[in-house]
Amino acid sequence: MNYLTTLSLALSSILERPLRSLLTSLGIIIGVAAVYAMLAIGEGAKKQVEESLNSIATRSMQIWPDWNRRRSSQSRPSMPFTEQDVREMRTINGVLAATGSLTGRSYTIATAANDINGNFMGVDPDMLRSGGGEMKLGENISYADIETRKPLVVISEGIQQRLFDNQNPIGQTVKINNVAFTIKGVTTKPDSNVSFGNDDIFAWAPITVARERVIGGNRFVQNHVSSLKVVGEIGADLDTIENEVNIILRRSRNLKAGAPPDYRIFSSRGWQEKAAEDTKSLSFLLATMGAISLLVGGVGVMNIMLVSVSERTREIGLRMALGACKSNIMNQFLTEAIVLCILSGLVGLGLGFGMSQLAMESMDVKLVFSPSVALISFGSALFIGVVFGFLPARRAAGLNPIEALRHE
Amino acid sequence: MATGRAAVEDAADHRLGNSKMPSTHDTHAHSNEGASLSGPSAHSPALISCRNVSKIYKMGKSEVHALNGVDLDIRQGEFVAIIGSSGSGKSTLMNMLGALDKPTSGTVMINGENVDRMPSKALAGFRNLTIGFVFQQFQLLPKKSAQKNVELPLQYRKPKAADIERRALHSLRLVGLADRAGHKPTELSGGQQQRVAIARALAGDPKVLLADEPTGALDSQTSTEIMTLMQTLNAQGITIIVITHEAEVSAYAKRVIEFRDGKIISDKQREAAA
Repeated sequence: MNYLTTLSLALSSILERPLRSLLTSLGIIIGVAAVYAMLAIGEGAKKQVEESLNSIATRSMQIWPDWNRRRSSQSRPSMPFTEQDVREMRTINGVLAATGSLTGRSYTIATAANDINGNFMGVDPDMLRSGGGEMKLGENISYADIETRKPLVVISEGIQQRLFDNQNPIGQTVKINNVAFTIKGVTTKPDSNVSFGNDDIFAWAPITVARERVIGGNRFVQNHVSSLKVVGEIGADLDTIENEVNIILRRSRNLKAGAPPDYRIFSSRGWQEKAAEDTKSLSFLLATMGAISLLVGGVGVMNIMLVSVSERTREIGLRMALGACKSNIMNQFLTEAIVLCILSGLVGLGLGFGMSQLAMESMDVKLVFSPSVALISFGSALFIGVVFGFLPARRAAGLNPIEALRHE
Repeated sequence: MATGRAAVEDAADHRLGNSKMPSTHDTHAHSNEGASLSGPSAHSPALISCRNVSKIYKMGKSEVHALNGVDLDIRQGEFVAIIGSSGSGKSTLMNMLGALDKPTSGTVMINGENVDRMPSKALAGFRNLTIGFVFQQFQLLPKKSAQKNVELPLQYRKPKAADIERRALHSLRLVGLADRAGHKPTELSGGQQQRVAIARALAGDPKVLLADEPTGALDSQTSTEIMTLMQTLNAQGITIIVITHEAEVSAYAKRVIEFRDGKIISDKQREAAA
């Protein structure tokens, strides 16, 4: 008996008892759907966490002077950083961008017709990259602009919208603190993970221009910057980078060995890594639940196959009398269980895909079709078919033809 | 059942490819020239040969001797009826002759092969090629059409019979049911169902047709029809062994072997079949 005959025999046997086949397959359908949906949701959540782990926000560290340090005779007031610190940080291995910015209070940014309060900053070219934003129009601030001290400004989309009604503002003039700046470019909002709240009204000027003409210098530190931001490349070891940053800052700030730092480094990677761990255990939990339902479905298949064997005992006896050997009978019943599980697995896969899509939509997570997840859930259906079909098939093959033929 | 009989004979004609077929007896005599009363030559090698065959069933502590030293030879082309009361051992013998069971002691040779030495897989193949079974309860698969039922033994052929369908239809034609090929057993009468079962037994072109109470579930008229069909098939050279407890059925056979308590108590050749 060849495989095709066995297969067609299994199919016809399944189709001859449609209601029973359907009810039996329900367990597997639900099981596979559950496994698929659970794994897919878990995978989706994992991917989201991974994306956020790889996001600029997770890879960046913000460094601020420690303003809360108690001033005492042993400690001096916390100093701002310098442009030299930034240049050194840019040379650290694995650093994608290092930027120093000068922030002041809120400034009025005005055209002849309109004005708006916004965040005015002195920046270097790395500001754009470190925030994950892009130039929408025109060009970014360049090192040449810093050198030549041109009164140029890059405005945010928010300003373009409010002051220029979304028209192209390149080349036009805005006044900030009564200094006229020519608009060089328009930038998009930084990566949503970087900016907080209503942070889309900002203007960037070359740091030198901002310092000398708007914000003002520092009494103690030349070429000062108020905060630093260092972004690692994807996959870079952020702890090593942080160590290097510490070495540079301690040296430039003349901190003695063992002295506490007079600055603070903020990063979000700690809690994001924890979120990834949590997601992993959530996925595991969900997949376990799916596996349990699949197991229950498998027991259902075994039960029905056992019933089927005892119901078809005479058929088995007859087939043996007519020339079927044990392996023929074994294959017939095993194939039947496997085919049933495969068909159920396919239906379950479709159902699971729909279920996970619904779940993801309601959770606002993008569903990614993962072949490995499909393979796992489908494979488990196949596995269930083999495992739970084996015992009934073996029982069928072990029947004595004489007794089987007499079976009532 | 005149039409039934006619159909059977038509079918037989077809098998031989001869529309002017002589009567059953003529064919028989013709094909066995110089034969003894029983037809097949007593000197031709036995198709089935049992030597000192015993079968003991253990029921708890007691032993039941279902067969007790049976010696039996059945030659090609014979029509044998094995009769006996219930518990006489005839069904046990049938299982031996059908290679479904092995003797506790003694040897069973079928078509030159020692059955009791064959492993079960070889035995299954042997049954498929050599023996056609006909059962009292027909044993048709209720959800399959007559044709599919007839195809059953051919599914286990190695290599698979390429012309399964043609052979099944031919077999159904032999029993006069070619026009019922698509019908399911429940749509057929008892006699027709048994004829389908006979067609199934014939589909594999066996050496022996082994029928266990083939008319046990049929009325007398249909029984006659079935036994006449068997006679016709025997006339075409098929060896037929019928196990029965009905005297009317055994009357169709050319040789009647009677069993009692696991032993042959008589083995008679008939001059002419009924």
